[in-house]
Amino acid sequence: MNSFEPKIIAFLCNWCSYECADSVGRAQKEYPSNLRVVRVMCSGRVDPQFVIKAFKEDAEGIMILGCHAGECHYKEGNYQALRRYILLKKMLAQFGIEGGRLRLHWVSASEGDKFVTIVSEMVRDLKKLGPLLLRDMER
Amino acid sequence: MKDEKIRIGVYICECGPNIKEAMDVNEIAEFIRGFENVVLTKPFHLLCSEEGKTLIEKDIKEYQLTNIVLAACSPKEHEITFRKVLRNAGLNPFLLQIANIREQCAWVIKDKALATQKAKAMIAAAVKRVAYHEPLETKEIQCHSDVLVVGAGVAGISAALTLAQKNRKVYLVEKLPCIGGKVARYEKVFPSLECASCVLDPLLDEVLHNEHIELIAFSEIEEVLGFYGNFIVKVRKKARFVDSTTCIGCGACSEACPVKIKNEYNEGLDNRKAIYIPYPGALPHVAVIDGKHCLHLQGKECNACQDACPFGSIRYEDTDQIQELEVGAIVLATGFDIFDPKKVSRYGYGKIKNVYTSLEFERLLNSTGPTEGKILLKNGQPPKRIGLIHCVGSRTKKYHEYCSGICCMYSLKFSHLIKEQLPDSSITEFYSDFCLPGRESQSFFKKLADKKGVNFIQVKNIDSVELKKKDNTILVKYRDINGKIKGRSFDLVILSVALEAARNARELAEIFDISQDKDGFFLEEHTNIAPVSTSVGGIFIAGCAHGPKDIQGAVAEGQAAAGRILSKLIPGEKLSLEPITAEVDEDLCSGCKTCISLCPYKALTYDQKKKTVSVNEVLCRGCGICVATCPGAAIKARHFTDKQIVAEIKGLLQR
Repeated sequence: MNSFEPKIIAFLCNWCSYECADSVGRAQKEYPSNLRVVRVMCSGRVDPQFVIKAFKEDAEGIMILGCHAGECHYKEGNYQALRRYILLKKMLAQFGIEGGRLRLHWVSASEGDKFVTIVSEMVRDLKKLGPLLLRDMER
Repeated sequence: MKDEKIRIGVYICECGPNIKEAMDVNEIAEFIRGFENVVLTKPFHLLCSEEGKTLIEKDIKEYQLTNIVLAACSPKEHEITFRKVLRNAGLNPFLLQIANIREQCAWVIKDKALATQKAKAMIAAAVKRVAYHEPLETKEIQCHSDVLVVGAGVAGISAALTLAQKNRKVYLVEKLPCIGGKVARYEKVFPSLECASCVLDPLLDEVLHNEHIELIAFSEIEEVLGFYGNFIVKVRKKARFVDSTTCIGCGACSEACPVKIKNEYNEGLDNRKAIYIPYPGALPHVAVIDGKHCLHLQGKECNACQDACPFGSIRYEDTDQIQELEVGAIVLATGFDIFDPKKVSRYGYGKIKNVYTSLEFERLLNSTGPTEGKILLKNGQPPKRIGLIHCVGSRTKKYHEYCSGICCMYSLKFSHLIKEQLPDSSITEFYSDFCLPGRESQSFFKKLADKKGVNFIQVKNIDSVELKKKDNTILVKYRDINGKIKGRSFDLVILSVALEAARNARELAEIFDISQDKDGFFLEEHTNIAPVSTSVGGIFIAGCAHGPKDIQGAVAEGQAAAGRILSKLIPGEKLSLEPITAEVDEDLCSGCKTCISLCPYKALTYDQKKKTVSVNEVLCRGCGICVATCPGAAIKARHFTDKQIVAEIKGLLQR
């Protein structure tokens, strides 16, 4: 039995993925309660420091969800998110933070099933990974 | 952050049974009561009811609340509603934060204990966040209400006339010396087969005589600076070498001119002179000198037109002029060009006689065209057998994948008109699929299909059609629907060519800084709900510059663009700006300019004197890309500041 319940901070862009999360709610599709949402106007607003801060504050996983390529409400903010994500992943690995703890997905407002799937998968994978050991250094 | 001055009121909406039954509302309220700066916490059965709104308003005044947290439905549902409540109570509407405990908690978590736990975290985050909220004001700027319309085809003219109806000053800039666009070159229009000039000429006359419209013909846009409400546009007025105020278009000059060149207004099917009027009836009806071909302007001895002009209107000394316009909004209605079938050798276009593009055939049909409207072969005889090839350059991966949407209808129009003029002729339309949407298209097709001597041949693949010269006729080889190779001979073949983005579309997109789709058409802000605006505030698009469409569609877009402008840009009124924008702290900005290249709206500029970057609040849309990019944390995203987001993260993760 695994009683570990990971906490996930998810940055959702106002136009596609936040709207998607709302539509999943309206459809009353169940997904794990581990998700904690931060609404941003654009995935391009997600400062790498937010990710680091969230890991430091005990998040076990972080998701950045944005609009599909070519569908960004602000033309190309999602491309900036992608660039930062790639660099950030490399950096996190140096700190011993497993790659699977930071995920980026493109989710349109209508992709409710995809939303439920990626959240469920991340919770499943984080349960396997266990708690993030980073914080123990501070204790 | 404990602050005596911050007095937060937290309201938990039960949303009838929706939230109440999914979680333990009282337990949540108890948990939140102990939070820093929280003055009161109230569960309520339905906050969006009048009773709920009155309660919040009353509490704000009674308890001197400074910030409000609502745990309720999605902010997308009622954020605006509750911002108004705050405003009514004398609080700045941005001192509100909503925790979305319905869509993102109550409705997606079946386990009551887990839902309660998550809701606690969400509300804790909102409470921590709201303490950092700052009052934001909706700023207003002065603006020009004059409008620039680029392109005087049906779309641009429709926009200009709609704007002028409301006494709005319109500058109508047209690249060519005459107005009316492509439609002015058609004889009849589908589906009514109405005479094109009967439809168009009254509109053109109105444009020429409307006191609110300043037509700037034979001119091009050089530079556009500024933003919504305050554009500064440089227009190059090309030298016409003719005084348009005294020229009456009598044509004496053209008759005298010794130079002959291919007439582009008739698709090169006949010749014009170096001084010319594009076609009989072209408006404004004023001659123009083609400087590249005029002997005098090329330094040779010739004053033929000057000698011939009875009004002394020739001005060889004329030069290009730059006119500067100040406008609040811009409509781009710069039209299309047609696909060049020379790119596809199997059509033999340009090599085989009597193979025409649709636009050439429009001119053959036109009473002001090279044959004065008579359908004639090169040898002067009328054709007996006419073939039409659909989808030339459309719906093929090699050229344009899109369907141009109007070719089926104009091909049917051609057949109707050919039958009218040459009732005994035999017509064959080669198509792979028909695109005939709309109210009248099917009956237009049916009327034609019922006529004698009109055949429709469905080909397996339009790319299988090949034209060959055979004796004095044109052999059309094709694969029929069963894949069998067949052939038919014709005297004249019309290629129904695709509509494509205008040749200068890229140049225009750069000047106006708007986006193009992969085929070069100007891109709308949103396909379905913002079809005539662009990603640049104040710049609108209309007509075929935005994608292939028929006259009805082009006119509708022109009028729609005008409507958008009339509803927002009102003379004397200020333009209100989005309060959620970026803000640069000049003390922190090192002037590295990293942010400038990433801003999708060119809202950031570098101030040479101050050596810092500043934000143009009219252009900024508040996406926050620059904020995340700034290495010095010198840019703040209003209402999404680092402090606010970090406080939210901390609240969400609180154990």
